[in-house]
Amino acid sequence: MHLSNETMNVGFVKKVEALSGTSVRRCFQCGKCSAGCPMAAFMEHPPNRIVRLLQLGQWERVLAGRSIWYCASCETCSTRCPNKVNLASIMDALRKLSWDADGPSKESYVQLANRLFIENIRTYGRQYELRLGAAFNLKSGQFLKDLMLGPKLLARGKLKMFHSKNKNLPEIEAIFSRIEEMRKKGEAL
Amino acid sequence: MTPKKHVLDYSYYPGCSLHASGREYDISTRALFKALNMGLKEVPGWFCCGATPAHNVDELLSLSLCAKNLSLAETVEGDLAVACAACFSRLKTTQHHLKGDEAKRKQVEKAIDGPAALGKPVKHILEILARDFGLARLEGNVKKPLMGLKVACYYGCLLTRPPEVPDLDDCEDPSIMEDILRALGAEPVKWSHRMECCGANFTLSRPGVVLKLSNAILESAQAADADCIMVACPLCHGNLDIRQQGIKEKYAPEVTLMGNIFGSDQKQGNSDGGEPRRETPIFYVTQLAALAMGAPTDKLGLESIIIDPMPLLREKKLL
Repeated sequence: MHLSNETMNVGFVKKVEALSGTSVRRCFQCGKCSAGCPMAAFMEHPPNRIVRLLQLGQWERVLAGRSIWYCASCETCSTRCPNKVNLASIMDALRKLSWDADGPSKESYVQLANRLFIENIRTYGRQYELRLGAAFNLKSGQFLKDLMLGPKLLARGKLKMFHSKNKNLPEIEAIFSRIEEMRKKGEAL
Repeated sequence: MTPKKHVLDYSYYPGCSLHASGREYDISTRALFKALNMGLKEVPGWFCCGATPAHNVDELLSLSLCAKNLSLAETVEGDLAVACAACFSRLKTTQHHLKGDEAKRKQVEKAIDGPAALGKPVKHILEILARDFGLARLEGNVKKPLMGLKVACYYGCLLTRPPEVPDLDDCEDPSIMEDILRALGAEPVKWSHRMECCGANFTLSRPGVVLKLSNAILESAQAADADCIMVACPLCHGNLDIRQQGIKEKYAPEVTLMGNIFGSDQKQGNSDGGEPRRETPIFYVTQLAALAMGAPTDKLGLESIIIDPMPLLREKKLL
């Protein structure tokens, strides 16, 4: 790996540390996080390498791949770290920074699912699973995905055709808009 | 006869799944609380905690949604009972973070335009059963012991991790589910995948991940000779139950006659070369507990489980 001023970005790493409330410098690369990670097999950078790349300021490599989007938030890494590096929070911070910047990640399906899930909260208050699944299939172009499961779930009452809006919807909308406002004013990351 | 006073009273945050794909968890939780004479009052107007997608990309939103729900919960008396492992984790994480970080708490209070109510104890159904109600009293209330039922207790991720948040049990070697199960008269098996991730919410975005991870869990439970798996999370249930047929088709397809005759190299049965894959019914802890308490069997949402549990329950003479 070629290290240079061009590839290193210490400011980015500081942002990650501020958002996650944890220090990447505490990591001494024992690899326990990657050994216990159920998703490491799906990632191009296993968790301990993500931290190593952050220590070296290699932010583009960290964000470009799909690794951060293939983290399941199972918290095994944070639980087992001997140096109390909260890797699960670092992953949250990396995803937020990538998300905000509409980052260069190749993993679009996970981001699409997240976006639809959050939109569902804003529109309905509670999750409307049928709409979530249908919207995902439509927007990801996988029209037949899990189609055979639909009738089974409907027959067992596990999917509802119709969904009423939550009575606190105005309050939910206010939370979303206040957070947007705070970010505009620079009062929150 | 006047109604008896409840032995314990709780406020209740069911979470989105329990009103939809995990409806049998809600139905059986209510049946169980009724059978144990415990009060359960749903928080009016509760909404989504944000689950994994919200904290994945927007921690402030996640904390604010949970903080608002916690203040709604203040309107109902009693500790807050939560059945979903993800809701439980998010609500507890919010309390934990905001108690320890004043700057973050101020941001959240601005976002929800009010004080963050952090005082109400948030309790998972498992700890209500094992600690508040108590194992001895639970055992004393059993009307139909689950004799001869071999159960693999599956904890998944968020009931115990990270250790400083849920405060439910040991983060690497918990026993609360096994303890409850023994009180019900069933036999917990020893197995290897109690704490492994099922693939969680990748079920929507990348179901292949769920098929792989949940296959390992089902395979491990069968190798330990479990009749069924017991869970305490609607997402774990969905992945192990709703996706089970898909998992079997991908990883343990039936041996076909043609394959036998022509010596197909298609993988047969379990990947360890053992017996063919069985169907493994997946129960919620509340379904098994309510069954043992003698609650009416048509009130447990058993008909909502995809992998039909009735043949197993009939075989064990539990219906």
